[in-house]
Amino acid sequence: MRIAHCVFLILLLHGTVLVAQNKQVLYDFTDIPQALMVNPGMETDFQWFAGVPFVSGISGHAGSNGVSVNDIFAADGLDINDKVRERLVGALTTRDEFSATARIELFNGGFRSAFSNIFYSFGAYVELDNITYWPQDYAFLAFEGNAGQLNRSFDLGDLKTRGSMVAVYHFGANKKMNKNLTLGARAKVYSGIADYNSTNNSGLLVNTEGENNILSTTIDADLKLRTSGVQALDDAVEDDALPGTLLKRGLLGGDLGLGLDLGFTYRLGDRTVLTGSLLDVGLMYHSGDIESYSLNGSASAEGIEINVLEELADLNRDFWQHLVDEIEESLPFETTNSGYVTFRPIRLNASVRHDFGKTIGPEKDCDCRVSKVNQRPPKYANAIGAHLFAIQRPRGPQPALTGFYQRRFGHFLALKATYTIDRFSASNVGLGINVQAGPVNLYVIGDNLLSYQNIAASNYASFQLGLNIISWGRKR
Amino acid sequence: MKALLKVKIVILGIGLLVSCSEKQDFTQFDDLSITPTLETSIFFVKVQESLINRAVNLNFFTQDFNFDAFEADFFADRVLEGTISYELQNTTSKPIQIELQFLDGNDFLLDTEIFIMDAAPTALLTREVAYGNSGESLDFLRNTSKVRLNASNFGDNSSVSGISGAAVELRSSAQFMLRLK
Repeated sequence: MRIAHCVFLILLLHGTVLVAQNKQVLYDFTDIPQALMVNPGMETDFQWFAGVPFVSGISGHAGSNGVSVNDIFAADGLDINDKVRERLVGALTTRDEFSATARIELFNGGFRSAFSNIFYSFGAYVELDNITYWPQDYAFLAFEGNAGQLNRSFDLGDLKTRGSMVAVYHFGANKKMNKNLTLGARAKVYSGIADYNSTNNSGLLVNTEGENNILSTTIDADLKLRTSGVQALDDAVEDDALPGTLLKRGLLGGDLGLGLDLGFTYRLGDRTVLTGSLLDVGLMYHSGDIESYSLNGSASAEGIEINVLEELADLNRDFWQHLVDEIEESLPFETTNSGYVTFRPIRLNASVRHDFGKTIGPEKDCDCRVSKVNQRPPKYANAIGAHLFAIQRPRGPQPALTGFYQRRFGHFLALKATYTIDRFSASNVGLGINVQAGPVNLYVIGDNLLSYQNIAASNYASFQLGLNIISWGRKR
Repeated sequence: MKALLKVKIVILGIGLLVSCSEKQDFTQFDDLSITPTLETSIFFVKVQESLINRAVNLNFFTQDFNFDAFEADFFADRVLEGTISYELQNTTSKPIQIELQFLDGNDFLLDTEIFIMDAAPTALLTREVAYGNSGESLDFLRNTSKVRLNASNFGDNSSVSGISGAAVELRSSAQFMLRLK
């Protein structure tokens, strides 16, 4: 029952609203302070900013490249069993994934040092990140079974899943090094709330012709599921103490880790800008509330085998129990509590942007030559560019390529439209709106907008929004 | 600040209004049926001709074997239907009879399968016994705790088959459909 609760919690973690890992609209949207989170080396012109707690940055994403909600749950009169067999069991492969992420900023702020012109930023957020690859052979076994599949080897390595819920505390610095180069770095402390992963599995299950009996069933497995904090959350749910447990584990009372974000912006000229960032280069050590399960070994059986001549002296023994014991000995299922290390999913961003059109703001405020280190670069009414994103996943990096156009309407309004190709969609159009009303900043970003015609049929959906107070000092 | 919050709500509201979706019916999940059919061997018994010749009685071998596989909750609660396949091979020089009795925990007889084979050379005797639906009751299996094997020799106990390693071999495997959901 407790294992069932753990599985339920894992599913809950996986199914909960989940941070668009690729924030292609937000990336290099320099009018929004949260863009610093995806490139700590972004060009900043804020004197200071303060995010409104809990609403300064909220984002979520859920996607599956192989199947949509509509494929399975559309009220189309078809039998769901046929749809599942045709569109899941018979169609998806181990390359197909279900992923979901979510992030809520608890607080976020930044200020520019009056002495060094370094822009410091700090904050905390809670992030969920989950990915499960379609366990192709497990699904076939679950829906069809192994009957009539002589010599078919079912790959037990098809199980690949990972998920975490972590509170992140960060502090970063951003400095314009010279008229062309801005560098930034952010240190992160991770406080793990819950984690599960089962990514390095291997093995097979196969029925072959038996040597004595009709069939020989062989299982050769090296499977491992590691969890941390899941049991604590399970207990908390039972004891009706979930908020306290989440708070305790989120406030450095759970697993701990360290990470680093790096970024830069480099001006190739007055109007052309290169940027790049590497995020979440870090690791976590899971040491508290660990429950790991493993099945490691090899066993082959042809049922109860009684060779009367050979067993003559011991025919009264319990052959069934002996068979069970033999399999359990050869293929032990073990539970351990030893700590383990996980690496955060590293994300890479790179972009090139070309600004054009009129500069924004009164002519006197514009230093179009950008000749001094401390002078802020001009902002132009239009920008066009491309952005490359990649994230490290259990089956290798996942890239995404984006083209974008940005339009500013004075200081009040900025729009950014994107077109992205990735494994989820080849028609992903995104739009970001940034409204600046005096010191109050509001942004809303939507992704894969074309799918909103029938969002249930979409393979991917995400959103981001936030509210900040920003000051540019006296020089804006 | 309140005005901006209102703007945010309006924008989100517009987003929700302009987004469309075909009608979804999530109650379909209740109709999802997960019923795999699993297959594996059950038991194998081999009685050599030399042993048969040693017995003086007609019944040359009787033995009870514990068999809890069908009684296990995971199986008993989920089995929908199934088939047990038997293969009997007789390479001895005498006609034989094999009787399989399925007994519950109190040694109460639930079901019996009888196989009769002529002396070698004979073809492989195969039989498939269905359980559930139009077959025999699944309760026979669910309550089986023990299998009793009776083997009888209807020939002499002195002749020797010309086939090397002559023996009576009973092989069996099973296919069962289980309901996981």
